[in-house]
Amino acid sequence: MTKYLLTRLRQSLITLFLVSIVVFAGIRALPGDPALALAGEERSPEALAAIRASYGLDDNVVVQYGRFIGHALTGDLGNSSRTGLPVADAIGQALPVTLELAALSLLLAIVVGIGAGVVAAVRRGKPEEWLANAVALVGLSIPTFWLGIVLVLGFAIALPVFAASGYVPFGTDPVDNLRRMVLPAIVLGSGLAAVVMRQTRAAMLDSLSADYVRTARAKGLSQGSVVGGHALRNSLVTVVTVLGLQLGHLISGAVVTEQIFVLPGFGKLTIDAVFTRDYATLQAVVLCTSAAYILINLLVDVVYSVIDPRIRLGGAR
Amino acid sequence: MRRKTVALVAVALVSFTSGCTSLQSSATEVGGVRKTDDRSVRDGGTLTVALNSDPDKLDPTLAQTLVGRTVFAGMCEKLYDIDEDGTVVPQLAASLPAVSDDGRTVTLTVRPGLKFSDGTPLDAQAVVTSLLRHRDLPGSARGTELAPVRKAEAVGPLTVRMTLDHAYVPLTGVLADRAGMVMSPAALEKYGKNFTNHPSCVGPFRFVERVGGDRIVLEKDPNYYDADRVHLDGVVYKPIPDGNVRLANLRSGDLQVGDQMGPVDVRSALTEPELQLFNSPSLGYQGIGLNVGNVKGLGQKPGKIDTPIARDVRVREAFELAIDRDLINEVVFQGMYEPACGPISPQSAIAPGVEPEDCPGRDVDRAKKLLKEAGVKTPVKIELKTSTTPEQGRVGQVLQAMVKEAGFDLSLRPTEYATMLAETDAGDYDVFTSGWSGRLDPDGNVSNFLKTAGAMNAYGLGDPEIDKLIAEGRSVADPARRTEIYDALTRRVQAAHALIYLYRQKNYVVASKDVAGIQVYGDGLVRLKNAGYTR
Repeated sequence: MTKYLLTRLRQSLITLFLVSIVVFAGIRALPGDPALALAGEERSPEALAAIRASYGLDDNVVVQYGRFIGHALTGDLGNSSRTGLPVADAIGQALPVTLELAALSLLLAIVVGIGAGVVAAVRRGKPEEWLANAVALVGLSIPTFWLGIVLVLGFAIALPVFAASGYVPFGTDPVDNLRRMVLPAIVLGSGLAAVVMRQTRAAMLDSLSADYVRTARAKGLSQGSVVGGHALRNSLVTVVTVLGLQLGHLISGAVVTEQIFVLPGFGKLTIDAVFTRDYATLQAVVLCTSAAYILINLLVDVVYSVIDPRIRLGGAR
Repeated sequence: MRRKTVALVAVALVSFTSGCTSLQSSATEVGGVRKTDDRSVRDGGTLTVALNSDPDKLDPTLAQTLVGRTVFAGMCEKLYDIDEDGTVVPQLAASLPAVSDDGRTVTLTVRPGLKFSDGTPLDAQAVVTSLLRHRDLPGSARGTELAPVRKAEAVGPLTVRMTLDHAYVPLTGVLADRAGMVMSPAALEKYGKNFTNHPSCVGPFRFVERVGGDRIVLEKDPNYYDADRVHLDGVVYKPIPDGNVRLANLRSGDLQVGDQMGPVDVRSALTEPELQLFNSPSLGYQGIGLNVGNVKGLGQKPGKIDTPIARDVRVREAFELAIDRDLINEVVFQGMYEPACGPISPQSAIAPGVEPEDCPGRDVDRAKKLLKEAGVKTPVKIELKTSTTPEQGRVGQVLQAMVKEAGFDLSLRPTEYATMLAETDAGDYDVFTSGWSGRLDPDGNVSNFLKTAGAMNAYGLGDPEIDKLIAEGRSVADPARRTEIYDALTRRVQAAHALIYLYRQKNYVVASKDVAGIQVYGDGLVRLKNAGYTR
């Protein structure tokens, strides 16, 4: 296990290094001059030259990359060229917001998705299955932006239970935090819950028709034990794979949700950085997101072995 | 009949593209002007204000954005300001500046007893420090505005003398904007380049914190000279780019003020009994720029471009004659903006520009005749670069429908903002949507854009007569003569048809009904010094 983890860690670092090059080059391949975007309305050739010199945009791309990596390795991600705020601070402030949003959405997806999937499989052909399938289809089909606005109109304006926007850290005021995070979590998690529901249902149907379940039933185990202890546990491997893959989508999906609910998260930070050609912020944000993807995949591999002891990582026995 | 056809096509197009958006024809309830209200307010409370984007650096020397100016209005007063009528009045200065007969020496005195938010005093030396920083700091966005200031010196504890290279009448107007903001020398020394994260000026509120992309928090400043008239405990500015989301938050009460609201959102807001509207005419303009000679990029001498629209002024005139400004305003903006055909707003207190009713009308027959005279093959193919906002897209579609009748085949290319800036500045375009938020002094609306090789003359316009008029407008102090100069300049620019002015936005601010004392003047800033919650 340790050997496997070390190998994966080494591979991850190489991937991250390659990603940093792709990100750096990709951002510079974007059309549009960051100096122009910064200068805004009042751009004179002198002001543009000063901006380029000030941010080192005049330097050779290799020199710029070296400077970026050198600083990044010491934890200095630079300052935003637009706001002047340290990028590390911006990420430090945005990351908890997106992580909380992703965690709540994931929780929602797990509880609703797995619950509905199990019910749909166990009650196959019954109205419960139809209902679960219909809800899943709606969850998959509704555009995030529309759902967000409708939920705000319904539950923040007509029936003011939740707040329409903004973020308050959980540590500052847990109640206000949840008042502001529940609607975004529903918006972001609804699509994932639908995917999880369908995967769980399919995996559960397979499991429920497997020999070991028939054996368990023959041994006289209760329905709860058969479904929860045997069928569901074996179905979870598929579900965890889907969750791992979708978690990355949750982070990218957060872009729209954060715009609707004005959450100062990673998505909003990324979008703002793209439109203002804020290289320093964009590089750091994309690099952090890549690191998160790599980490999540590693964690998913580890979770496999916990759920299903038959899976042994790295071929170890 | 023809106008009707175009109108129907345009309405159909816009209805199709804007989905379920209802287009109401009447604009009477928002046709007036409401810049403030004087209901009495109580002390206390915090106001949350939505901005349509995140401001850039909170450093008056480096700041570029209109939303940034709104935040500065809360915490950084200027040597001069404008009043409700757009007239320049002293703010940190004790009186209007004294200008020598040759216009080259300007003396100003600051109010006594002023203190920065860090508690240090504001004196003549502090003003000089800020002026020189605005002029000289690398990357300063104020450098061009203050370029004529050769020397600034403190000649008394509260008196500053500026020596200019030449007479420069727009200086007072310039000092009524960010170039007139005075920063604490102690804070400048302490924070250096990082002043942007610790701004300290004189204002009703002082900076508390900024969380990028989320909020800028200000609190009432006890050091402020007029603190007794400040009622709010603090202000929170939140960037919310989407108009729908801004409106939803105003409805839910999470926001109290929404800045720069678009016509569709204003219409919706008017149906809400808990919301009220403030508005003022803008000093800026929106239009389309035609590439008539930009071959080498900004700041370069114009060259020859071999396209019908660049080659022949008759083709450009035909293009303009095919446009109906009133219809654009009615169809795209629900009649809530104003048609425009010149760079200077008719609301300008210094030199009023052309009134909307005096703008040339649509004349398709004459447009066709001009194209025939020019001997160009029709349809004349032109590409219009627009920004990616829905409004600009609709402007493009309406233009496309209008000019088609005259013999133009206008294709639209929606282009993301940063890319469009790069392409248009480099001269890589036929026609693009071009706008300006406006400046108090008319010079700020013309010189950089229309002067040969001007810093923002992306059109490649080069006309010695225009250059002469711009120079004259900068040096003549007599208001009546200045008005004449800018009238002549406007006529000359109109005749060149290189920048076709289309409409002037209005500054729309939506606020909760229980908020009073907000001021929305022609510069588009939301002033909150006297704002508060009603008793």
